[in-house]
Amino acid sequence: MAMPIVETVNLRKTYILGKVPVNALCGVNLKVEKGDFIAILGPSGSGKSTLLNMIGALDTPTEGKVLIDGVDISTLNDNRLAEIRHRVGFVFQFFNLIPRLTALGNVELPLSIAGLSKNEKRKRAENLLEIVGLTDRMKHKPAELSGGQRQRVAIARALANDPSFLLMDEPTGNIDSKTASDIMDLVQELNEKKGVTIVMITHDQNLAGRAKRIVRMLDGTVFKEVKQ
Amino acid sequence: MKSGDIFGYAFGAIRLRKLRAGLTTLGVVIGIAAIVALLSISQGLQISITDQLQSGFATDTLIVSPSSGGVFGGIGGAAGGSASDFSLFVSDVDLINDIDGVVASAAIVQKVSYIKATDQTVTAYVVGVDFATYSQIYSSTFVAESGEILTSPESKTAVVGKSVSDPWENGTLICSVGEIVEVVWTNTTVRPPVNQTVEVTVAAVLAEIGGLSLTGPSDYSVYLPIEDAQSLFGTEECDRIIVQLTSEDDETIESVSEAIDELFDAQVSVTSPTAILSIISSVFSTVELFLAGIAAISLLVAGVGIMNIMIVSLMERTREIGLLKALGMKSRTVLAIFLSEAVIIGLLGAVFGIGLGWALALAAAQIFTGGGVTAATGQAAASTGFVITPVLTPTVLLGAFGFGIAVSVIFAIYPAWRASKLKPVDALRYE
Repeated sequence: MAMPIVETVNLRKTYILGKVPVNALCGVNLKVEKGDFIAILGPSGSGKSTLLNMIGALDTPTEGKVLIDGVDISTLNDNRLAEIRHRVGFVFQFFNLIPRLTALGNVELPLSIAGLSKNEKRKRAENLLEIVGLTDRMKHKPAELSGGQRQRVAIARALANDPSFLLMDEPTGNIDSKTASDIMDLVQELNEKKGVTIVMITHDQNLAGRAKRIVRMLDGTVFKEVKQ
Repeated sequence: MKSGDIFGYAFGAIRLRKLRAGLTTLGVVIGIAAIVALLSISQGLQISITDQLQSGFATDTLIVSPSSGGVFGGIGGAAGGSASDFSLFVSDVDLINDIDGVVASAAIVQKVSYIKATDQTVTAYVVGVDFATYSQIYSSTFVAESGEILTSPESKTAVVGKSVSDPWENGTLICSVGEIVEVVWTNTTVRPPVNQTVEVTVAAVLAEIGGLSLTGPSDYSVYLPIEDAQSLFGTEECDRIIVQLTSEDDETIESVSEAIDELFDAQVSVTSPTAILSIISSVFSTVELFLAGIAAISLLVAGVGIMNIMIVSLMERTREIGLLKALGMKSRTVLAIFLSEAVIIGLLGAVFGIGLGWALALAAAQIFTGGGVTAATGQAAASTGFVITPVLTPTVLLGAFGFGIAVSVIFAIYPAWRASKLKPVDALRYE
C-alpha cells in the first residue's frame, strides 16, 4: 500500500485559554490517501479546525506527530514549514482574498511566492480561473464578486501551486445553499476528474454526503469513520 | 519570491492607504528638507564669508597687534581701545625686520576720519603706511587703477580705495586723481574734542578689491604716507604691524610668531590670516554640526511616526500576513515586504525632502541677499558683493538621501520583525 499523503499519529493539542488548559485534540489518528475526499463532521469545539490547521502545517502539535508526505512537521524549522505549506492548498470559510488585488492577482499571489516568472504566473492563473468558471471575472476585485465567485477564486488560488491536497474549512459556510451546491459540484469534479485529494470540514450532513469518507469528531477525538 | 514582486506588493499596500502613507512620508520630507536647507545655507554662508575675508589676503603674512586688541580690535580702529598700557610703535618695525624669516614689515596707523571733497563728505579709515613696503606685501591688491602709487611719495599725497572714490558705483565720484581732499580726524582724547585737518592730493585710486578686507588693503580706506598720518594723529604708536615672511609654511609662521612674541615680552598677539580662516572654518563646522543635529531630531521624530504607522498597519494586516504565510510565504519575505514599504517611504521622503530643502535654501538666500545683510555691512556703497549662494555638496546630498532611507528602515525593523514572527494560525484567527 502506498504511503499516505497525510498521517496523524496520536495527535494532541492543548491550548491555554487564560489559565485553563483546553484539550482541543486528544489523540487523533487519521490517514489521508492519495485521491481521498474526506469530510470532517462535528459540532463547534470538537477540534475540526485545529486538526485541519495541523494537517496544513499552520500549527504545531503539543504531542504526537503529523506526517506530510512522510515528513514529521514538528521537526521542521520556519523555512521548511513554509515550503511544506506550498504543497498544501487552503480554502477558508471567509475566503481570505486580498481586497486590493483582482481575481487574477489573488490567484497569482501563491505563484509569486513560489517565485514564478510573470508570464508563467499569468498563464497558470488564467488557466485556473477558467477551471473554476471565472474567465469573465478575472479583472474584478473581490468586492465586485458574489460570495460564490469569491470562493471559486479562493479554490483557484488553493490549486495554484499544484498542491498534494486541498484543505477546506467550511468552504460553503458563508454562501447560500444553491451556490454551495455549485461549489460542491466543482469540488467533487476536482476530486473525481483531476484526482485532487481533499479534506473538508463541514457542518452540513448533505454536503458531507458527497465525500468518499466521513470522519465524525467529538470532543477532540474521532468517534466514527464511515466509508461511502 | 522575486524582489520585483516584493516591491510591487509593498507598493500596492502603500497605495491602498494613500493619505496615511502621504502623511508618514511628509514627516521624512520635513526632516530631510530641514537638513538640506540648513546645511546648504550654512555652507553657502561659510564660503561667502571666507571669500570676503580672503579678498586682499596674503597668506605669507603675520599681523602683530597689542595683545588685548587683537586683529579684530585693531580693525575697530579708534573704537577698539586697548586696555593694557602696552603700545606698539612705528619704530618697532626695525626690531621685527631683524628676525630671521622676515622679509619686511609695515606699521599701520589707522583711525576713522571724514574725507571732505568739494561738496561731499564720507567716512573712511585713514591708514598711514609705508607705501613701498605695503605695496610689496600686498602686491596683488594694493594696486592703482588710476594714478600711480609712488614708493617714495611726496608728503600730503593720498591713495584712496575704490569705494571712497566712487561710493555709489555709478560714476559720481567723490574724488579722483589730482584732486585735493580734506582729511578731518576728531581727536576725542582731549577735552573738548578737537578736529585735526590735513589737505592731501589724491595720487592714486586703488583697483576694486572686494570683500571685507580683514587684514589687507580695503576699498573703504584712504592711505597716507605714514609720516603724514603720524603727524595728523599726533602719535608715534601704531595699531598693528604687518610682517611679510620668507615662506608661508607652518614652520616659518611658527618660528617668527615665537620670535615676535619673545621680542615684545608676550604683550602682543601674533595672528596669521591662515589661522583666522581655519578658526572661522572650525566655528562653521561646529555650527553646521549643531544645525544638522537639530534637523536630525526632526527626522527621528519622523522615524517614530513611521514606526507607529507600521505597527498600526501590522495590526490591520495581521490576517493578511497569516494568509501569506498559509500560502507558503517565508518569514524573511514578510520581513522584506514590510521593510520595502519603509524603503519606499524613505526614498520618496528623501527625494522630495532634498527638493524642498534646496528650494527653501534658495528662497532663504534670496531673502538674505536682497535684504538685511547687504545693508548691515554699512559703508556708503550699496552692494559689497555679499551674496550667499546655497551650496549642496555631494556629501550633504548623499548623506541626506542615505539618512532618510536609513531612519525609515531602522524604525521599521521592529514592526517588520513582529510581522514576520506572527504564527499563521494565530494571525488567521485574529480579528
